[in-house]
Amino acid sequence: MRFLRGGGIAGFVIRRVLLGLLVMLLVSIIVFVSTQLLGDPARAILGRDATPDRLAALQKQLNLDSSKVGQYFHWLGGLLSGDLGTSLASSQPVTSVLGARIANSAVLVVLAAVISVPISIAIGSYAALRREKVFDTVSSNLMLVLAALPEFVVAVLLVILLSTNVFHLLPAISPVPPGTHAWDYPDELVMPVATLVIAVAPYVSRIMRASMIEVLESDYVEMARLKGLPERTVLIRHALPNAIGPVFQVIAINLAYLAGGVVVIESVFNYPGIGLALVDAVNNHDIPVVQALAMLIAAVYVVLNLLADVATILVTPRLRTRL
Amino acid sequence: MTGSGEKRWHVTERESGLWAPSRRGLVMGAGGVVAAGTLAACGGGSAPAPSGGDTSAAGTPKKGGNFRLGVTGGGSKDMMDGQNIVTKPDQARLVTAFETLLEFDDNYQLQSTGLAESVEADSPTQYTIKLRDGITFQNGKPLTADDVIYSLQRIGTQANGLTGFAATATMDIKNLKKIDAKTVRLPLLSADSTIPQTLASYTFGMVPKGYQAYKGDPSTQIGTGPYKLKSFTPGQQSVHERYDGYWRDSYFDQVTITDFSDSTAQINALKGGNIDAMTDLPANQVNAIKSSGVEALISQTGGWIPICMAIDMAPFDDPKVRQAMRLIIDRQQILDQIGSGYGQIANDLYSPFDAGYNKDLPQREQDIEQAKSLLKSAGKEGLTVDLHTTNGASGMVELASVFASQAKQAGVNITVKNDPNYYGDAYLKLAFSVDFWGTRGYLNQVQQGSLPNSPYNETHWPPKSGEGSNFGDLYKQALAETDDAKRADIQHEMQKAEYDVGGYIIPYFNSLIDAHSSQVQGLKPSKGTLNLAGFGHGFRTIWFA
Repeated sequence: MRFLRGGGIAGFVIRRVLLGLLVMLLVSIIVFVSTQLLGDPARAILGRDATPDRLAALQKQLNLDSSKVGQYFHWLGGLLSGDLGTSLASSQPVTSVLGARIANSAVLVVLAAVISVPISIAIGSYAALRREKVFDTVSSNLMLVLAALPEFVVAVLLVILLSTNVFHLLPAISPVPPGTHAWDYPDELVMPVATLVIAVAPYVSRIMRASMIEVLESDYVEMARLKGLPERTVLIRHALPNAIGPVFQVIAINLAYLAGGVVVIESVFNYPGIGLALVDAVNNHDIPVVQALAMLIAAVYVVLNLLADVATILVTPRLRTRL
Repeated sequence: MTGSGEKRWHVTERESGLWAPSRRGLVMGAGGVVAAGTLAACGGGSAPAPSGGDTSAAGTPKKGGNFRLGVTGGGSKDMMDGQNIVTKPDQARLVTAFETLLEFDDNYQLQSTGLAESVEADSPTQYTIKLRDGITFQNGKPLTADDVIYSLQRIGTQANGLTGFAATATMDIKNLKKIDAKTVRLPLLSADSTIPQTLASYTFGMVPKGYQAYKGDPSTQIGTGPYKLKSFTPGQQSVHERYDGYWRDSYFDQVTITDFSDSTAQINALKGGNIDAMTDLPANQVNAIKSSGVEALISQTGGWIPICMAIDMAPFDDPKVRQAMRLIIDRQQILDQIGSGYGQIANDLYSPFDAGYNKDLPQREQDIEQAKSLLKSAGKEGLTVDLHTTNGASGMVELASVFASQAKQAGVNITVKNDPNYYGDAYLKLAFSVDFWGTRGYLNQVQQGSLPNSPYNETHWPPKSGEGSNFGDLYKQALAETDDAKRADIQHEMQKAEYDVGGYIIPYFNSLIDAHSSQVQGLKPSKGTLNLAGFGHGFRTIWFA
């Protein structure tokens, strides 16, 4: 297994990318097989109106024939060349059905990440530093409460507070009309992003606090302090890089979860993201759309995990030097 | 064109003593007269037509504004077609641009206020459709006989798979004949007195010759209606712009129909002023929304959620078991629990607004003792049976559960099977199931669900022998009968059989509960099938204060 080692950080990244591609290939087989189990899309689309004549007409329109293996390779080939097929429900190319929704979801996730990660790292670190003082007690308990609240409740509370009952400051929904972009409506993004920040921040700040406390109790931090280094330097130069490793993993998992489409949030704010698109596609047995979204979400998981691993290694000297 | 350039006013004397003037006819002050088998119209193109109900049309209609409607039940399968729907937002979209030859008023009475000036029965097997003058499609072309023929043939072609196909069974679609530019002769394969009702169904929209469903180009969606499609993204939104050449009054500059996945978001959007009206307000919200400048619109419709017993499948092949089930149900409790009291107790019969609805049959009440003894004499004491349902319309799953708990009192064990794929292979093949229906005239409903060749016959009615076995013959007689009173008699006989030995348990007729901002004027309860009083009668009889 010699080829699995060596090459320093570059070798590590290359190995992980190849492994990621293998994972994606396996995922593609699983996704393809499992979506075949969804059943006849024509029936699902028509629902109760599936009279024999309407059913026959639609099945003919949808071209539901040819062998499964042939279909898989045809689909995989399309996937690699960027052709995701045609949505069965809307008869539009999958790329045009999902394009705007993927962009909308990405905006939401990136904004939530950019806001929640620094805030929660700061809160977690400061709480660790002021361990068992007022700030730590208040923030730890608050984070616990927020972590316990379902996103749905947070979203509804925000709506009641900011748009319908108490104040009328922000729009109650964020529909992003077709043909426009989510960032064209900054006021509509406030509440969905705030909900996601509240959903993610507790986990990240709690792991940051725990990790930081462990590091602050370690010998080398004590050594650094005894050397007479300013507390600021001790924290930022010595403690933070070692404490943040586990935090990257938690951030990656949380962001991947958000990227999978936060159905509840999209539902409360009527936000056109990929979560609702996936629910809708499953209901309609719209196989090409389900497949495309499943592959996309799997890819996001693989990429985020890869990034988290690389980041962890880069910031952690003892891992870095082992490569 | 009909030669003379003048607007023609067509009045037919009534022949039947049973005719009662509809309120609309009176409001319009014109002789809208319905005679036996004949519909004749009067009334120009400019009645503001807040029809039906009382005369409390609030204020004078004002022009302008973008009416934003939030609708649940849509998704990426949303479509636009003048004669076809699969989701609720599709219904709203259809009525922005497409109109029917005849129309129902808010009391579910036929009126010739639509595209046809008259639809007359020349004989039981032949109708003549006369188009109104001065109606143009949104591309400026006049509506002609050719368009009507194309429209009806499009629906009547099985391969097109359109909603209305089954209702064209009696029409001799191939032999539709153009008499002149404004007149069409519709021959029938067999007598059918329900043709006018069929032509007033919203899925019988008139489309221009050569019309096709939306496939990405909004300019293909040309109807005679007040709003023209501007943009449409399935699952999200469609925008409809005012058509200035519209033949009646309309008030909004634009109509925007937005899909919602969830009623919570809908209610918040309505309270927050992001939309002006919404469909299907949960009944428990009716009082909660009142303080927020929002009003509920509650329409008693003829819609129903039946429990269906297949009369040829065990254990329901024994009429005593069916009878027992109909005595087990506590209708008032079902109405209170599932409809939150918004509805009207039913009597195992459908189509309550039909002139031939049999009101004389005694109201069936819960009678557990009687049910028990019927089950005993049928040898079915302690019966155990599966009741299949699905989340197809609101209340379907709850109805099954509440009925199951009521049945325990009579020692009947009902297991509720909630199956997401219910409307797949199992539907119509089940002994015991729950379904849903909208408002229809009696004979139209029979054609849809109670004949051997009906597309949705859940109860496998009528029976082959005994009471009700002449149901199909009676149906044909009723279709051929042009005298309203005699037809009502035949319908009464048909309903008596369904009441005695039929397979439906119909607990109540539900209400449609919608909500709108108090800025929206002109909305009044309607007995029709569509939400928000037929979506504000195609968004043309409502306006902003």
